[in-house]
Amino acid sequence: MFEHDDDALNRMIDRLREPVEMDPRLDTRVMTRVASPGFGARAASAWEWLRRPRAVVISPITGLGLAAAIAVLVWFLPTRAPERGEPLASDVTAVQFVVVAPGAESVSLVGDFNDWDARLTPMCAVRDGRLWTVTIPLAAGRHRYAFLVNGARWLADPSAPRAQDDFGAPSSVVTVGG
Amino acid sequence: MTTIHRVSGLVLVAALLLARAASAQDPRLEHHLDSTTLAVVGALMDSARSAGLPVEPLVQRALEGTAKHAEPDRIIAAVRRLAGELGVARAALGRESSPAELDAGASALRAGVRPEDLTLLRQRRTQSLTVALAALTDLVTGGVPPDSAAAAVLALASRARDDQIADFRRAVERDIALGATPAAAAAVRVDATLREVAGAANSSNPSRKP
Repeated sequence: MFEHDDDALNRMIDRLREPVEMDPRLDTRVMTRVASPGFGARAASAWEWLRRPRAVVISPITGLGLAAAIAVLVWFLPTRAPERGEPLASDVTAVQFVVVAPGAESVSLVGDFNDWDARLTPMCAVRDGRLWTVTIPLAAGRHRYAFLVNGARWLADPSAPRAQDDFGAPSSVVTVGG
Repeated sequence: MTTIHRVSGLVLVAALLLARAASAQDPRLEHHLDSTTLAVVGALMDSARSAGLPVEPLVQRALEGTAKHAEPDRIIAAVRRLAGELGVARAALGRESSPAELDAGASALRAGVRPEDLTLLRQRRTQSLTVALAALTDLVTGGVPPDSAAAAVLALASRARDDQIADFRRAVERDIALGATPAAAAAVRVDATLREVAGAANSSNPSRKP
């Protein structure tokens, strides 16, 4: 049993000791890979190409076209977020607005908190449509507003101080502490 | 560089500047104002921005005008007037004033409060002035003479909290609605509020004898 194992082992050792035939082209392949430029060399070459000054010839009409294209691009890009006074997250207060408008078909709350857009804050009718109400979050500060009844009639809030009127239609003010 | 190149470069820069100037207009106004009004309002906004004044109140005033279908001249006049009031408010309240304080200060000036009273308010109150200025404006709008209203708010300024000043203003309005004269209502209510403020201070400091 043991002798049989020893023979097999000896044959394997002899086989491993046999010289290995090398591909005669191996040296050539290795030297070719060593001589070829790596990533670093290619990047350096590209950087050098980018930095090298060169004359760019451009016709006046192409220049004008390029200028027009950039102008259009700048025109349509948003330039800045509308500044909106105080930050909303930390000092926002929910404020309820109520107005009596019996028989109205629609009432909107319109003010500087919704860019005076009558579509943005419709009020809800309660108590058989006599009372209209809405609650919105308001940042700290002094806000001008008014109610727009049926899309045509401006009403000041009778329960709030009046704002100085510049446009011949009444407005009110609400102050949120902060 | 040839002449053609220089001309092309100048055209490019000019186009960029023109486009930038046009896009400096607030996009919310572009859909509501005609081109002439937009240009004038835009110039007023640029002046205010250059002077370090808040622009948002001017935008909102113009939007209010368009929502109320005001004539363009009236919108321009309102924006110009507000820009001037914001400038006076900033001079009276100081350069460190917040946009909300300047807006409230402009309203106070418009109501008839003197700039000197705004400066006194800034000196006496360390907290934000927005609520105090709003209360002052609302008192004057409600009929309290500007001098009486300013004296009352200045008396409260150093010690009263914002909610106490707001309560004071509501109490005065209630008294006026019930028939009191505005000046008398302000005088009576400011005394009551001062006693309340002093009482709250004493109760929070029990070692101090009244």
